Amino acid sequence: MSTPHSPAAHGGEEIEIALLAPKFEEHAFPWRQIFGYAASLVLTLGALLLVERHVLAPTALLVVILALAAIQAGLQLGLFMHLRESAGATWHVVTLAIGIGVAIGIVIFSIWIMTFKSGVS
Amino acid sequence: MSHLLAQLFPPSVLRPMELGADASILLGGLGIVLLLTRLRRWGWLWREWITTVDHKKIGIMYLIFAMVGLFRGGLDAVMLRTQLAIPNNTFLGPEHYNEIFTTHGTIMVFFMAMPFIFALFNIAVPLMIGARDVAFPKLNAISFWLFAFAFVLFNMSFVVGGSPNAGWTAYAPLTELRFNPGVGENYYLIALQISGIGTIATGVNFLVTILRMRAKGMTLMKMPLFVWSVLITSSLVIFAFPALTVALALTMLDRLFGTSFFTIAHGGMPMMYVNLFWIWGHPEVYILALPAFGIFSEVVATFSRKRLFGYPAMVGSLIAISLLSYGVWVHHFFTMGAGAAVNAFFGVSTMLIAIPTGVKIFNWIFTMWGGRIRMTVAMLWQLAFIPTFVIGGATGVMLAVVPGDYQFHNSYFLVAHFHNVLIGGVVFGLFSGLYYWWPKMFGYLLSERQGKWAFWFFLIGFWVTFFPQYLLGLKGMTRRIYIYPHGLGWSPLNLISTLGAYAMGIGFVILVYSVVYSWRHREPDLTGDPWDGRTLEWSLPSPAPEYNFAVLPEVTERDAWWEMKQEGRSGKVRAEDIGAIRMPRNTPVPFLLGMSFFVAGIGAVFSWWPIAIAGMLFVIALLVSGWFEEHDHHDIPAEEIRRTEAALGRLEG
Repeated sequence: MSTPHSPAAHGGEEIEIALLAPKFEEHAFPWRQIFGYAASLVLTLGALLLVERHVLAPTALLVVILALAAIQAGLQLGLFMHLRESAGATWHVVTLAIGIGVAIGIVIFSIWIMTFKSGVS
Repeated sequence: MSHLLAQLFPPSVLRPMELGADASILLGGLGIVLLLTRLRRWGWLWREWITTVDHKKIGIMYLIFAMVGLFRGGLDAVMLRTQLAIPNNTFLGPEHYNEIFTTHGTIMVFFMAMPFIFALFNIAVPLMIGARDVAFPKLNAISFWLFAFAFVLFNMSFVVGGSPNAGWTAYAPLTELRFNPGVGENYYLIALQISGIGTIATGVNFLVTILRMRAKGMTLMKMPLFVWSVLITSSLVIFAFPALTVALALTMLDRLFGTSFFTIAHGGMPMMYVNLFWIWGHPEVYILALPAFGIFSEVVATFSRKRLFGYPAMVGSLIAISLLSYGVWVHHFFTMGAGAAVNAFFGVSTMLIAIPTGVKIFNWIFTMWGGRIRMTVAMLWQLAFIPTFVIGGATGVMLAVVPGDYQFHNSYFLVAHFHNVLIGGVVFGLFSGLYYWWPKMFGYLLSERQGKWAFWFFLIGFWVTFFPQYLLGLKGMTRRIYIYPHGLGWSPLNLISTLGAYAMGIGFVILVYSVVYSWRHREPDLTGDPWDGRTLEWSLPSPAPEYNFAVLPEVTERDAWWEMKQEGRSGKVRAEDIGAIRMPRNTPVPFLLGMSFFVAGIGAVFSWWPIAIAGMLFVIALLVSGWFEEHDHHDIPAEEIRRTEAALGRLEG
């Protein structure tokens, strides 16, 4: 052990290290991230304007802003969250799958729980 | 000017009790400043503690804050019980009572139990998995300082501006500006938001630490069970806390910027707050309980001198509990009136949790079965936990029966139930862990004799406090009432309950006295392994050196250190195996970041926007400064490590 040992560099079994090692793409200038940031701002402002200006019927409005939200979530995962930057990351996929499952579960269950409103009002 | 003074010091902070607290805070603060100056310890404080990124020191700092939180939350509890001791008592007024039960609950959950579990994560996990620090040491320090400044921000409310008063759950519409003017609820929203950022970062940090930094050979199924519980807890934190973040942020927007997410007017839906709060709130119960289960699993194996019974079943039930915990949140608001199908679903899912929890209880008992049990204080807490938690769990199943819940809801039966599981499960576990790992933290043992006195006072006090509350609930006493008349049959039970609370208070005082006494009469534990432990942290000297392991261990079995001892190996290392070690360097950035968030928080609480914006600009500047940080580590030369290890008597030959 002559080389200095970084605390962040050793892991469990060798095979896990090979699977988990992050592989970062390096660019001269982070165009992609700047594009993601600008696009996120535009998508957010778009949703806000649609709500403020009352240009769409309520149902259509809901569908459109939900679509804008989904696009933005995808953009941010892809551009900022290193989704495409690590090869064969088992934990990555597992975590993301659980995350999406929890998110969808919360939405569906919340809608189900809140249907009481139509029953009482 | 007078307007500003009225905002800063409304009548609620100028009551005699609050002024008394002001005086003691000023005197105490002045005393600490004078002491540090006289002992010339400011530089030491800055170098060794404030700028540290060492997980062992961060753990100790979390512990200190948790103890302060326990003191304040406990004092609140004693005041509440004093008010309720006799009918028609006038010790606290209604407004005052509301403020105190709100701070009691909020502090106990967010500023006592949370830092306490994070203290033990930090102290034990890297040592147990054979790592030299956590995966992101600087982020770990940032988590701590965000928590610490949020702690100060929240605790400030009762001396400047006024306390929050809408309960620890802060339900809308009670928290909406129309019904709750003043800055009290802003303190709650902003302080929890700031500490929440730190909490999510801690979850990420320990998840990555455990997945990436285990010693060679330590597969997932060879990890100590406490590490398993931290792994599961971290994932619960990551998936549950964002719901709280959203609930708090939307309430803040309603209060500070005039939106209507949870107002009745303009189409808002207050019930959605309740829904979001408990989507976080139920997993939160397990965020607190699972680490305690992990502690008990270590303690019971060590003090029974047996390996843990049914390890795979323990892991499986941890995972089952964590998954089920996401599907039960409606049981906190059955009475909201959702349909029969919704309530039936969540009632059944709640009862299901009793199954994996029961599996764990049996495994702890079977671990003791046939073992050579040593009655240490850590083990006593474990033994007290089992029956206490079983009863708390059983009353939980009673509450899960929906028609029954319509009767129990918001009565003292509920209050007794959740104190039964949160004290009997979580606090007992934390005390057990405190006694168990104390020698590893500080290098000496806590007095066992005094620890037993504290244990018996606290345990008996606990039952005397909370058993009568079950009966009070059945007799119709509702939660959060500050006064009750004669003649309802509540008076004797309330008096008994209050006496129990005083006994718990005495238990806490004995514990604090014991900490001071044990420090003054400390005898260094030179073995590093005072309990004849089983896991890797006991293979190190106490306290462990900065780099933890001079040579990283290799693990072949579960209970790695026990196996090594069985094979006749010591924890000693060979001089030629020691190389230079790269460690993260101290940094003031986490502390300054916490301070900037604090400034921004004050600005937001009082709606002083220039101050809030200035605070956030500092936050951004500090984050950007991290991009240019190139000297974030230092190398400890091999020679220095050999000297340190030789001085600790840990070199072979």
